[in-house]
Amino acid sequence: MTNSRPEIDLDELVLKYRPVVSFRVRKALGGATPDWEDVADEIITQAIEKIKNGEFRGESSIGTFIYTITSRRIVDHIRQKMRVLRHAPEPSAYPDPHETVESRERAEQIAEAIKGLKPKFREVLYLYYFKEMPREEVARRLGIPPRRVSERVNYALKLIKKGLKK
Amino acid sequence: MTECKYDGLIDRYLLNRLEEGDRNEFEEHYFNCASCFAKMVERDQVIGVLKRERSVFATEERPAIEARTAAWHDRVFAFFTPKQWALAGAAAALLVAVLTVTPLLRDTPPEFVMNGEETVRGGSLTLISPIIDIKTVPAYFEWKKLGEDVEYQVSIYNGKLLWKTSTTDNTVSLPDDIKSRMIAGQRYSWQVKAFSKQGTLIAVSSRVQFTVNPAN
Repeated sequence: MTNSRPEIDLDELVLKYRPVVSFRVRKALGGATPDWEDVADEIITQAIEKIKNGEFRGESSIGTFIYTITSRRIVDHIRQKMRVLRHAPEPSAYPDPHETVESRERAEQIAEAIKGLKPKFREVLYLYYFKEMPREEVARRLGIPPRRVSERVNYALKLIKKGLKK
Repeated sequence: MTECKYDGLIDRYLLNRLEEGDRNEFEEHYFNCASCFAKMVERDQVIGVLKRERSVFATEERPAIEARTAAWHDRVFAFFTPKQWALAGAAAALLVAVLTVTPLLRDTPPEFVMNGEETVRGGSLTLISPIIDIKTVPAYFEWKKLGEDVEYQVSIYNGKLLWKTSTTDNTVSLPDDIKSRMIAGQRYSWQVKAFSKQGTLIAVSSRVQFTVNPAN
């Protein structure tokens, strides 16, 4: 009997999917939720066990397989919390109490890059991301077509990226 | 990094603007697409900094952006400072008050003192012709009629009383002898007083001056 199970490098899998799972969990639970890292660890462990047990048969991509485990675990976690809290924790947008020194430095570099932008780019970033205005509203306020808003945002992001590489 | 069809969903996902179906689809996608995930993480870092590090928008810059990009009604209000708006409001209120009150004051009937004792009220009496300098001696004098049963007393002066007559009509013709006494270049004035049937003074016109000036 031939074993048709796909060969998977588990070390590589952890390296590749841990950030993705962590991002998804943090986005769903909010960075302020203290146990989001535990949930992410549990998901990775669960995925490895399932693969070892032959539950991943290659019917879907490994990404979809892990995504499914992640989504179910998040739902379970929220249900457990709801029993205690009555309400699931609201996913907060961008709190980051677990910020590492490395990510702090990165954030400072990004902040410097943003400060170095021309006012017209900071202006569009302010309205679009900080004020969270829809593209059409930003366009109306700036008196430019919506397409130009996207162009300015994208160009500003490119400039920030370029500034980080220096 | 190649452009992916999900690329446009990154912002909407990070800003929580996707419907549940689209959100699930996009989440499954970035579990399979390293390119989109990398882009999303980069974008998330930038948005995170924009959200947390308010200092990236200088303190004086934020209100400036707000003012510059405000909606049209906000722009109208931002055009003046609150103090200027207050002054403009006060000026507008004053103007309205003046425009409202002035006609009321104008319509107040004049008071006439009769024999130093009796006071009667009356309306204004408007002279029609002549009211400016004229080329020939006027054939008639005309004023605005006040009503029925009103007697008008017309007086023409050339420094002193030249002629005086009464009529119930609102015009009067000059007698030939008076016409002959009016000379070019001389300044004249005329006035009409209106009396009721009972002989009570009810209105007085202003005294209007005119010059007979054939040269004109």
